[in-house]
Order: sequence, then C-alpha cells, then structure tokens
Amino acid sequence: MLFITGPLYSGKRTFAQRFGGRQRYDVQALAVAAADLEALADELAACDVVTATEVGGGVVPADPAERAAREAAGRLACLLAARADCVVQMFCGLPTVLKGELPEC
Amino acid sequence: MLTLVIGGAASGKSAYAEWLCLQSPLPRTYLATMQIWDAECAARVAKHRAMRAEKQFDTIECPRQLDRVRLPQRGTVLLEDLGNLTANELYSPDGAGAHTAEQILAGIEKLTLQCENLILVSNEVFSGGADYLGDTDRYLRVLAAVNNAAAARADAVVRVVCGIPVYYKGSETQ
Repeated sequence: MLFITGPLYSGKRTFAQRFGGRQRYDVQALAVAAADLEALADELAACDVVTATEVGGGVVPADPAERAAREAAGRLACLLAARADCVVQMFCGLPTVLKGELPEC
Repeated sequence: MLTLVIGGAASGKSAYAEWLCLQSPLPRTYLATMQIWDAECAARVAKHRAMRAEKQFDTIECPRQLDRVRLPQRGTVLLEDLGNLTANELYSPDGAGAHTAEQILAGIEKLTLQCENLILVSNEVFSGGADYLGDTDRYLRVLAAVNNAAAARADAVVRVVCGIPVYYKGSETQ
C-alpha cells in the first residue's frame, strides 16, 4: 500500500491517481468515528493507495471533540504509515518519499 | 548531545523520542511538564506513563522553572514537552511571563551540563493558520522562539511525520 499524507490541497489525490488500483482518499475523516483504529488501518491497508490530510499541525483546538478528532487522525496516520510499503509526504504538489520506494506508475 | 524532536498532534513524536532514549545510556530521567487540570490531562499523563513503564525512567515533575531543576544523575534526559512548559510559564499567575523564552532556554542550557544526552520534545502548532490574536499569537511567538533557538543549539533536529523520523539537522546514528 502507498500512503500519501500532506497538508490540505497539497496535491495528494492528483499524485495518487498516477498509480491506479483501489484508492481511498481523505481517510483522516474516518478516524474519529472508528471504534477500533487498528482494525480501520488494517482494512485501509488492503487498498493500493490511501491518502490522508495532515490536521495535527495547528493550534490545539479549545473544543474537546475537535482535539479528539485530531488525535484520532494522527494515530490513524501513524498506523497506516507503519503498514505502508511506501509513505509519501506532499508539499505544493511535490512528493517526498519518507519510507520505501514508489511503486511503478 | 542535544536532540530536538518535533511533531504535530499524535504524530508519533513521543514514541520516537522514547525510542531514542532507549538507544542511549542509562540512567534515564523523564522531565514531565503537564499540569493536570482535568480528566483529559490525567488520561494523557496515564497514557504516557504506560508508554514509559518498564523503560527504566525516573520521573521528575517539572511544570515550570526548568532552570531550577537539579538532576540527581547523569545519563539520558527526556523533556516532554516544550509546548506545555511554555504555556505553563506564560499563563500561570506566578510564571515567567514576558521572560518565558529566555528562562526555558537557560533551563535547557543548564540541563545540557548535567547529563550526557538531552532529548527535547516540542510541538508543531504553526501550520493551522496565520491570523491569530492576543494570547494565542503570543504563545505561538514564544514557542517558536524556543523551538528555533533550541534547533540552532541542537546537534540533531528531527520532525516526526506519521511516526517516521525526518532529520533536518544531524542524524539518528550520531
């Protein structure tokens, strides 16, 4: 599985679509409602490409539910990165490989 | 050796910093900075204590006044985290206030003289917007000053991205 992370609108999906296969986008949104993050990560790891937006780099929100959502999203991203063969961080449309090697397009 | 480990919320920075400590010589001291205000803080403290369980850390509570810490032993020290320390000094009625950054940096300098390895954990909270006001803006400016000065002073600076260490300065095998 190729895991693509990065800030909002950094080109994650456009980059993902170079690769084909089964893809899931913006999975950070699934984290907060998941009863079992490990199980969710296992399920997502069966895809070919997964993208998640980085949401943990801002000021800690005053609202407890927003804090919990960020924590869950961050944890899920760690679990996905651990399961991924390749991890890419996007920045302004540019990919940086943090783990493994990119699969063939 | 001074290492700065930085990352966003739930980025895996704590787990990585602890792993770094396990590669470093005993004894291990943990400088805990969180002031426990409510159940959420208590749960976070409990989670981090569980992560440290059986890793041979002695814990010293240090929510403020880092410059007054006297370590009972040398070895490896993990300070977690600069974001809490900054908030505590800025917002406590008897905190360092306007002198927060210089007091924390003086504390870091004194700690480096008292141990072999100092590992600082800090917080990436600067990527969520740019139009903050009042206390929030002040906090961001002070924490950025602390982070940037610590990074300049450090032998290694590593940003943790979804559990993966990315070195901006130095390396893991230094």
